[in-house]
Amino acid sequence: MEYEIAGIIVVILITLAIALSFSIGANDETSAPLAATGTLKIRMVLIIGGAAIAFGTIFLSQGVASMVGEKILGPGIKYTVFMLFAVLISSIIWLVIGSLAGIPLSSTHSLIGSIFGVVIVYALFYGGVDPATAFNWEKLGSVVISWFLSPLFGLLVTFGLYKLIEKLYLSKKKGLNEIEASEKKFSWALLIAIIFAEIWVGANSAEALGMLYALYSNGEITLVTYYIFVVICAILAFLGLYLAGRNVIRNLASQLTDARPSDGFIIQLSVAIILMVCTVIYSVPISHSHVIVFCIIGLNIAKKKEVDYGKIGKMIIFWVLTFPLAALMAGLIYFGFLSVGLY
Amino acid sequence: MMIDLTDLTDKNLKKIKIDDLTHMFMDSINEQNIKLIEGIEYLIKEDFDNFEKNLNYVIETEAEILIKKAFEAKIFKSKLMFSKADRLKLFSKINDIKAIGEFLANRMLLYKVVFPDVEFKLRIELILKYLKEISMNIADAVKSIGSDLSHAHDICEHIKDERRKMRKEEWGLLTRLWNYDMDYLSRTFLYLKEMIEGIMMLADHIKKFSEYIQFLATKYLYFK
Repeated sequence: MEYEIAGIIVVILITLAIALSFSIGANDETSAPLAATGTLKIRMVLIIGGAAIAFGTIFLSQGVASMVGEKILGPGIKYTVFMLFAVLISSIIWLVIGSLAGIPLSSTHSLIGSIFGVVIVYALFYGGVDPATAFNWEKLGSVVISWFLSPLFGLLVTFGLYKLIEKLYLSKKKGLNEIEASEKKFSWALLIAIIFAEIWVGANSAEALGMLYALYSNGEITLVTYYIFVVICAILAFLGLYLAGRNVIRNLASQLTDARPSDGFIIQLSVAIILMVCTVIYSVPISHSHVIVFCIIGLNIAKKKEVDYGKIGKMIIFWVLTFPLAALMAGLIYFGFLSVGLY
Repeated sequence: MMIDLTDLTDKNLKKIKIDDLTHMFMDSINEQNIKLIEGIEYLIKEDFDNFEKNLNYVIETEAEILIKKAFEAKIFKSKLMFSKADRLKLFSKINDIKAIGEFLANRMLLYKVVFPDVEFKLRIELILKYLKEISMNIADAVKSIGSDLSHAHDICEHIKDERRKMRKEEWGLLTRLWNYDMDYLSRTFLYLKEMIEGIMMLADHIKKFSEYIQFLATKYLYFK
């Protein structure tokens, strides 16, 4: 009976993971600055952005997926199907709450927080596992530290990049005609930066692939099956962006028409660098939206523009609370599963 | 310097760039402004024939209409990235100078005034001199926008200074006018009062225009 339920849950998990990939594409706003410049038609922007995300997902995501799906766990501990189910339910509920309340929450933070919650409950109540060894604390620690360092480095990289480009190039443009011509060049550079950023967005998006890797890690699916699902997730991410993301991008692009392509280029390049370093060198899942927010702050500081620190402070409070609250929610859900004998 | 109307055909204008069309438009309007100012100077000298000739030129000339049509046709099709709206606004502000100038010319042609005394004439000539200067300066500022926004910004600062001086002279003139022993409902009084107001209206518009150009400079330039 339990095996039958577990089998159904595996199917639900895979379906949810694939659906998550679609929603990652649907909510991705990376390409909006390019759409705002009018350099390419919006359809082409979506195709290019979607293809880049798909590329990153298929070829470069294994490091982060394996970190989430296996490496952050302690020795001898593996995810069970119901743990993963509790994690996904908790992540989804937390994100829905955030959407309804109008609070920008990180899906990455809520995922890792949920994992933390279910593993601790598993260790405490299922028995046989010392909570102190339930996690690879070094890896988990590196993930959590990266959430603080990645936005900070995003701010610093953007600040430095802007100052460099301003000194060497932008400040030498004197007339409106020259500025217009240089921004036209930057709009093409922005295209390259966005492709670069989207590849690493795809590579670093751990939510769906981490769950699938966990299923592979505990033997529910084979490696070949895992890669088939990776390709499916990549295609769904592309379709998510192309079909559902167009309205998000169109709306955001209409607000960005006064933004300069040079600013967009600096921000997207900084985001891409941070994502690349976190994915390739450290294999840690970070919040893409947090990095972008701090990159924008870095640009505003560099340009000596006003920064609303009060608003940022409120955002940081929600970011910090996401991990423990998601952990609590997932822990409670999994405890419920344990209470009815579902391990 | 009169714009050669014979060169201004639709075909010729289509070949000209947006920036150059804006400069041509500015030159045309500036020329009309100078004609208007010189017309008022003729009035001061009581040379009524040249006064009428100059002001009628301002009212009747349509050289800038062709340029305006060519500009509008070109700008909407252009692939300018983000300065399109600002360039349209710039053009519209130049057009407003023409509208104010034409309005002033029409009002001034209603009557041929004789100025009260030499002192009044000298003061009017002084503010007309300032007006001529800021009119030339705003034309230079507009032409510098494409190549050197910083220089345009500096010219506009100078325009604002000159306009402040005009304001001081204006108060002096109005004080003098109100202290003349004349009927305040007489045509002479009303005409002179409205002439001063009209000159200052034009100066004020040029000043606001210069502030807009300074706004563009701060918007687009990377100031250290």
